Amino acid sequence: MHRLRAPAAMPLTILALTLAGLGLVGLTGGYSHFVIALVALTTVAGTGLNVLLGLTGLISFGHAGFYAIGAYASAILTGAGLSFWLALPAAGLVSGLVGAGLAVPAMRVKGPYLAMVTIAFGFIVEHALIEGGSLTGGQNGLVVTAGPSLFGFPFAERELAFLAVIGAGLSLYGFHRLARSRLGRAMRAVRDADVAAASLGFDPVRVKTLAFAISAALTGLAGAVLPPLMLFIAPSSFPFAQSILFVLSVVVGGAGTVLGPLFGALVTVLLPETLAGLAEYRLLFFGLATLVVLWLVPSGIVGSAARLLPRPRTGALPPAMDFARLIGQRGAEALVVEGIGISFGGIRAAEGVSVTAQAGAVTSLIGPNGAGKTTVLNMVSGFYRPQAGAIRLGGRDLAGAPAHVIARAGIARTYQTTRLFGSLSVLDNVALAFEPGRLRRRSGGQDRAAAASLLAFVGYAGDLDRPAAELPHVDRRLVEIARALACRPRILLLDEPAAGLTRADTDALGGLLRRIAGQGIAVVLVEHDMPLVMGVSDAILVMDAGRRIAHGNPAAIRRDPAVIRAYLGGADTPARPRAAAWTPPADAVLSTLGLTAGYGAAPVLDRVAIEVRPGETVALLGANGAGKSTTMRALAGLLRPVTGAIVLEDRAIAHLPAHTIARLGLALVPEGRQVFPELTVIENIRLGAHGRAAPIDPAEIEALLTRFPRLRDRATSRAGLLSGGEQQMLAIARGMMAHPRILLLDEPSLGLAPAMINALYAVVADLRDQGVTILIVDQMAALALTVADRGYVLEQGRVVTAGTAAELSADAGLEAAYLGAA
Amino acid sequence: MLTGTLITGLGLGSMYGLVALGFHITYAVSGTVNFAQGSAVTLGAVLGYTLGVTLGWPMPVAIPGALLGCALLGLTVERLLVRPFVEKGSDAWLLATVAGGIVLDNAMLFTFGKEPRSLPSSLAVSPVEILGTGIYPLQLLIPVVGLTVAVAIQTLFRRTDLGRVLLAVAQNADAARLMGIDVRRTVACAFALSALLAGAAGLLIAPLFSVSAEMGALFGIKAFAVAILGGIGSATGVVLAGLLYGLVEAGVTATLGSTYTQLVVFSVIILALALRPDGLLGRAAINKV
Repeated sequence: MHRLRAPAAMPLTILALTLAGLGLVGLTGGYSHFVIALVALTTVAGTGLNVLLGLTGLISFGHAGFYAIGAYASAILTGAGLSFWLALPAAGLVSGLVGAGLAVPAMRVKGPYLAMVTIAFGFIVEHALIEGGSLTGGQNGLVVTAGPSLFGFPFAERELAFLAVIGAGLSLYGFHRLARSRLGRAMRAVRDADVAAASLGFDPVRVKTLAFAISAALTGLAGAVLPPLMLFIAPSSFPFAQSILFVLSVVVGGAGTVLGPLFGALVTVLLPETLAGLAEYRLLFFGLATLVVLWLVPSGIVGSAARLLPRPRTGALPPAMDFARLIGQRGAEALVVEGIGISFGGIRAAEGVSVTAQAGAVTSLIGPNGAGKTTVLNMVSGFYRPQAGAIRLGGRDLAGAPAHVIARAGIARTYQTTRLFGSLSVLDNVALAFEPGRLRRRSGGQDRAAAASLLAFVGYAGDLDRPAAELPHVDRRLVEIARALACRPRILLLDEPAAGLTRADTDALGGLLRRIAGQGIAVVLVEHDMPLVMGVSDAILVMDAGRRIAHGNPAAIRRDPAVIRAYLGGADTPARPRAAAWTPPADAVLSTLGLTAGYGAAPVLDRVAIEVRPGETVALLGANGAGKSTTMRALAGLLRPVTGAIVLEDRAIAHLPAHTIARLGLALVPEGRQVFPELTVIENIRLGAHGRAAPIDPAEIEALLTRFPRLRDRATSRAGLLSGGEQQMLAIARGMMAHPRILLLDEPSLGLAPAMINALYAVVADLRDQGVTILIVDQMAALALTVADRGYVLEQGRVVTAGTAAELSADAGLEAAYLGAA
Repeated sequence: MLTGTLITGLGLGSMYGLVALGFHITYAVSGTVNFAQGSAVTLGAVLGYTLGVTLGWPMPVAIPGALLGCALLGLTVERLLVRPFVEKGSDAWLLATVAGGIVLDNAMLFTFGKEPRSLPSSLAVSPVEILGTGIYPLQLLIPVVGLTVAVAIQTLFRRTDLGRVLLAVAQNADAARLMGIDVRRTVACAFALSALLAGAAGLLIAPLFSVSAEMGALFGIKAFAVAILGGIGSATGVVLAGLLYGLVEAGVTATLGSTYTQLVVFSVIILALALRPDGLLGRAAINKV
């Protein structure tokens, strides 16, 4: 291990810096004492702010208020005859309590709203002090007549400087300890992923309130030393600009680092001193210094320097622990969900869903996109409050309880996109989940060993001390599962754990899920990967459009006609094929070669080669997660960067941004319609022509409204008020306004009622017959093939089959790609 | 006195509304805010004074010149202090615009000087008597201009192509790209417009107060409070909150005295946000898991 990363290195550094500070006080005199004391006090105050800004990720532009509260509390109490040594902790306490009080409104708001609450707080304190009458001395402030003394020994500037330096050393050490404690890790967890922190049982409001209180108390303590040092305090000593200086000094030094506030304090206090002749310019310099730091070293001076040190390695861990003892302590219990439902803005996302997840079994929840599976998961884990029904676990109804309460009751979960605590190590991510919600815990060493065993159990073989943000995709999934298991859950909910995994990784995941169930845990799996679902499930619940449509074991589900229809689209939704045989010209409008792309680490497209010829309608098919929509996004330029070639009419467009591609004549009608909800139907349609050169001809809009009569009826209403089907029509009309060389339709039938799907496909067939070139992606493969001339089948980001629509319809492999091979 | 309070309140309130509208525009289009808006208020007044008084340009030239300077400031802020951070997925634009504001304020302090100067205006020379109160014509003009600009902005958004493009980007940036809209350029436009509004407010209030390098800082903070209070995503909410804020401020100043104004007003802000965390007309976002 590198010596500067050794556990004792930081305390020793702090000790050395403190001794150096004390020595400096001893060697110098007069004004230097004052400056050193000020640097030390600013360090303490900055460390307080660092708890908020660096650990918890909350901004405060009102910390001068806490500084002032500490100073006035100390001055008023000592003025009333109390000893300075009692006034000091009292001032910290008062400030901390005010901080906890401020957290009440502050926790209800986010982002710029939080900034505003803290700005307002700073102003309130400043003006309350002005209006405080004889208690605060109004504008004139308070004069300190008697300085503190200890055992009859008076504390002058020199002694106060000693005191401040020791205080700074202690606060830096305290921050160091806090950052490594369970509470400090919980703060970082809340900052990195507050939703996941809640599902580990941490109440984000409580954690943030504590952070506010600790932060305010420290800053108040620093302020309490000001009166004897300055001998005079006034409201004008604590202006809004001081709050900003605090924030900027922490950021310049390095938010979240132990020594950052010290460096920030050195810069803020010493800069004006060294620029004495240029005192007026100090704010100018400081503003510029901050900008330079933000541009060049965004993690601050200390943060960037620390990065140069090599990463630490963990010492030897105790031997692996017995897994059953680790996670099997609670009694096995089934999860019983009875008739839960919820609607958002009038749309029923889930209705009357009932399912029982037996202990020791894998229960899967499947269905097409938008069926409401994740919504059900979110209700069970407490992120949505169900409007009807019950969620029972061990005789307790948990419906409507908040996420952290549900987590503590024994329901753990993972997320569609992993939500690890990026700044914490892999080991800490898992260790934090033991004893959900506890902010203090003694058995740190044992937890680390237990976490390491859990990570080994899920098959994670990487570096235990690596920050989770740096992990490759597969490992993120595994660590998230290990973290959920560390809660010692009775129920484990998994939201698409196989998304983005290779076949081999998915197979390994299947084995892991069986082993977890083998420990008596009820596993609930939401998943699109059919081979996985069919392979591991004991029972499957199929949902469509928010309702349960089938329930049974894998073999029964695979044969169920309702399921096949939900997935592939049945023959009862007729779409019109071409009336007569037709051969397209040979030169493609759009073609790709070796198109490869991915989100982050996981490749989603692997050397895709497709082409679409003028006037052709081509279908892109495949199961969920096969890469269909990703292909569309890559073609339209929304997904960048990609490798390989995309050619639109002899022009390479793989490197171009979306708006340029749109202007070249490729119109994507995106998944989920994505109309502009606050604009009217007509405005939406007109925007479709934005990228083309030709002006809008009123007759053209008229013609579109004739084609889509439902849009004519709603021409002036806001697009957000339209039904899903109407929005889809609008999105197509908007796309047609571009006079596109090729029209891309991404999942047009998603979430629509059958009658609407029929009308929609009639439109698609019309467009095709008029000679529009179309590339269509639809989950309803059978339906898409009836309008298409040709098709490609994608599996795991690769084209596995290509052929004419007739060939593909007859291919049994297509059904297998959707529902898994029997 | 009531008339005077009312007119002062509406005047200041409409100016807060104007600057707050600037906060709203950039927030709606890009999810970011220019915390140097207060400096843009100052810049508007300082440039107006420098061009119109120091350099002696005729006002019909000096005023557009000052506004142009503010728009350029908006473009610079977006390019240097916002875009580099947003593209890295960092929140540091917040601190960068705060720091940028400090730099600009101080730069103006050294070039323009410390002492406040008065910007003469023919509309602020002889007061007219209305219901027993002496009022400068400019005081009457300010709320009228303020509200007219607010309505004009609404019209720009609803009735012009540029406005619809801004709205489209605000509502769904990806879909806007698919329409061939250059989102980057649109965001830059929004910042220019936002700073221009702040500059206009600075020019309008300059003859009533005085021009100084420090005039905009507190004004900008109050306008931010107004934007938050109204619900920063709602243009109507922001303008209404501006008028409300101006009236409350003028009312408290007239009854309790100016020293209590900020105490009362900022307490009201905290209380209001505790009760309505998304502002008066703001809408809560759906929390996706």
